[in-house]
Amino acid sequence: MKLTGWLEGVGRFYVGLLLAFLYLPIVIMALMSFNASPFYQLPFEWTTHWYSDLSRNNQLLTATLNSLRIAVMTTVIATILGTAASIALYRYDFRGKRILQVLLFPPIAIPWLITGTAMLIFFYGIGIGRGLHAILLGHVALALPYVIVVVSARLQTFAPELEEAARSLGASQWQVTRRVTLPWIMPGVIAGALFAFAVSFDQFVVSYFLATPGQGTLPVEIYAAIRKGFTPEINAVSTIIIVVSMGLMLVTARFFKFGGDR
Amino acid sequence: MKRSTRLLTVTALLASALTVSASAAELHVLNWKGYGADEPWAIEAFEKATGHKVVNDFFNSEQEMLTKLRTNPGLYDVVMINAAFTGQAIDENLIQPIDTSKIPNAADISAEKAQSPMLNRDGKTFGVPWVWGLTALAINDKSFDTPPTSISVMWDEARKGRVIIRDDAVEAIQFGAIASGQNINDIKDMEAVKAKLTSLMPQIRTFWSSENDWNQMVASNQIDVGTYWSGSADRAKTQFKLPVSLVIPEEGAVAWLDAFSVPVGSDNVEGAEAFINYMIDPEFYVEWVTKVGAPVSANDKALAALPEDSFNRAVMGSPEVAKRIQFQAPITDEQRESYLAVWQELKVNVK
Amino acid sequence: MTSAQAARKGIRPALPLLAPAYLWLTVAIFLPLSAMAFFSFMTDLPMAGREWSLTLKNYAAFFSTSLYLTLLWSSLRLGLEVTAWCLVIGFPAAYVLAKVLKGRAREAIFLLVILPFWSNGLVRIFSWAMVLREGGILDTALNAVLPFTVSIDLMYSYPAVIIGLVHSYVPYMVLTCYLTLQAIDDSLIEAARSLGASRRQVLRRLILPLAMPGIVAGAVLIFVPVVGSFMEPRILGGRTGTFYGTVIEDQFVAVFNWPLGAALSFILLAVVLLILAASAPILRRAQQ
Repeated sequence: MKLTGWLEGVGRFYVGLLLAFLYLPIVIMALMSFNASPFYQLPFEWTTHWYSDLSRNNQLLTATLNSLRIAVMTTVIATILGTAASIALYRYDFRGKRILQVLLFPPIAIPWLITGTAMLIFFYGIGIGRGLHAILLGHVALALPYVIVVVSARLQTFAPELEEAARSLGASQWQVTRRVTLPWIMPGVIAGALFAFAVSFDQFVVSYFLATPGQGTLPVEIYAAIRKGFTPEINAVSTIIIVVSMGLMLVTARFFKFGGDR
Repeated sequence: MKRSTRLLTVTALLASALTVSASAAELHVLNWKGYGADEPWAIEAFEKATGHKVVNDFFNSEQEMLTKLRTNPGLYDVVMINAAFTGQAIDENLIQPIDTSKIPNAADISAEKAQSPMLNRDGKTFGVPWVWGLTALAINDKSFDTPPTSISVMWDEARKGRVIIRDDAVEAIQFGAIASGQNINDIKDMEAVKAKLTSLMPQIRTFWSSENDWNQMVASNQIDVGTYWSGSADRAKTQFKLPVSLVIPEEGAVAWLDAFSVPVGSDNVEGAEAFINYMIDPEFYVEWVTKVGAPVSANDKALAALPEDSFNRAVMGSPEVAKRIQFQAPITDEQRESYLAVWQELKVNVK
Repeated sequence: MTSAQAARKGIRPALPLLAPAYLWLTVAIFLPLSAMAFFSFMTDLPMAGREWSLTLKNYAAFFSTSLYLTLLWSSLRLGLEVTAWCLVIGFPAAYVLAKVLKGRAREAIFLLVILPFWSNGLVRIFSWAMVLREGGILDTALNAVLPFTVSIDLMYSYPAVIIGLVHSYVPYMVLTCYLTLQAIDDSLIEAARSLGASRRQVLRRLILPLAMPGIVAGAVLIFVPVVGSFMEPRILGGRTGTFYGTVIEDQFVAVFNWPLGAALSFILLAVVLLILAASAPILRRAQQ
């Protein structure tokens, strides 16, 4: 549907509005990391004090690194496993398929608090215990349903004749997948990966139960910090993360096309 | 080639995440966050003096503390427990008897607290009293010319929408008991408590759950008065310079006693004893009160080391206050569940 | 177009692709949740030598008072409202992203939309608190601009909970809708237009049905977690912030009654699955 010029303008303006809504709290968060009051009091008083505090706060920095490490690993594992499962669910028909699809909902529907408690008890019971390995195990499992749902949504737009055609031209199963299917669903895979990263990076409940003392993740530290005082150091570290990831993303966007062709 | 290096990187990342090492000289302490035992200056002094490396872990509710003890046997060396919960921890075999002769400062703890039946069983000591405090009222100094003396200020029409209480069933019900003139450990007329709390609901701005909530609400001048913990009110004033004052209403207040215990299976009992000794030491206490703000020490000598006119000594220690406060006794699971049911119903009905 | 066209029979060829994901889910989620499901039929936890036996009383507790039903109802309403807002706000944005913007700008905005939920949820909620309260940023900003005085105090109210949740979840809808909208061939739309279809007809008959898988995925990913949410309602809702998720949380955090908490969660799961199952035929019709 070709939109007329002014309608396109309205559309662009609308996306701008949405971005403003999305970034309002982020901007506030960043501003408050430069505000002197530990209780986010106004009027605004400029300081970089919280950043220098942060640079000395080893616990928070370690936690941030742990979080990044786990989020990256979760993203890689969950995206690969989830994409594979989505392709299988799309391509093949077998008894019990619906059940497998329905089984994706409990991890999303049951509040993370209950899942986290269940994991703690179960991991403790079978000897996996607590620690970063347990957190990774839990995060991948939580991220998988998101990846599968998102990639499957994209797969539904895929014309199966393409696979058939490629196969009839003598392509092997793997070649079909790599050359035909994957390129088409790439935007879905990327979106799934972004979801997986977000689920892991912002996951505090499950991490909270599974972390060992001194080896927490960033959300665990943040959650614990609300007891004592939610100092703007937290804003500072969040701001750094947002700015760095924004930079990384914009660089990636320059060199890598993932919004899909057309 | 490219693929195999990528695989290697992933494997290396995995491997590095899987190795979590623990060293033997570590001392694992489980406590509320920001509650003395994790003050950086204190840990530094303790580590220098004894050579034990302190690793702090925190809980956000007593239930969570018990769960952490249950699911991590042998991990923790010291745990801070509200004395009302110590009995439950003993019943579940989570904590072990303490040899107080190895803790020199324990001799200075006031006898009535040291021998509390909540902390001792069959002649053995399971908890060393640390500090005690009150759940009373605190006010925003900016909103009052003269501090209120009665709990009824919470129901004052003029304070509507500027009152705050903690979102905690037990605390809310016990507060209601005091407001309706009852014994907090033996509530006879639950209907009166319900009626009191129901009429309080429209007054409330929001519920608080952590110290930080309270402090932010005062800092942004959104509240006049609310329930608060005495140590926290002191911290808000001393450390954060907020206009907060504690009020011990004439109707009374809930008092609690916090004590240190040693979990079953601790592999550093000696370190635990040293740590407990340090925590009840007068020197640590005075520094804690002056720098940060703290509840009242159970150690008489520590209290005597404070200036005579200090709040924790002059007000909290006065016999006038002692008459008004009611110490919290252990609560059974059934009681706690029934309190929660009442509290949830009250909260749902305001919607 | 259904996936059955592409389907090949038998589970064997699907196994190598499916097994890793589902094995992982089994170890880390299904088995722990089964244990939890078992707890929900117990009188007490089998820990520390407590006595326990099997019972249905935790499920009976749900029906014994109107409390849980009332709360479940308000949580479902919250889920529906948040999902509806996300759809209304997110779908047009996804459309612009997929069909109006081109090239690098699209890629960049696509990423910008998802970036906010890489920031910590708790920090975001606290920032909203600063915006929405009386004397907060929204209040101050409006009063600086408007010639008359208004008092904006949205904090600790139902709208505050909605705003906070929509903010957290709207990127989900934008992304999932984008994925299916972007796949629609522009020439298809042009053909329909040249055959005389009005803009509205094209939207209703062509674009919406083709975008449906994305809308459904987004709606599910929003509705399902929102119904059980407890952080946002608690902090932004204040005294009106009691929902089904918060009472489940209480059973775990405030009292040690996991059996009841687990039973309440599985009732929630059952209700959510029923709703999804009931809406499936409607959605399928919309897709054709």
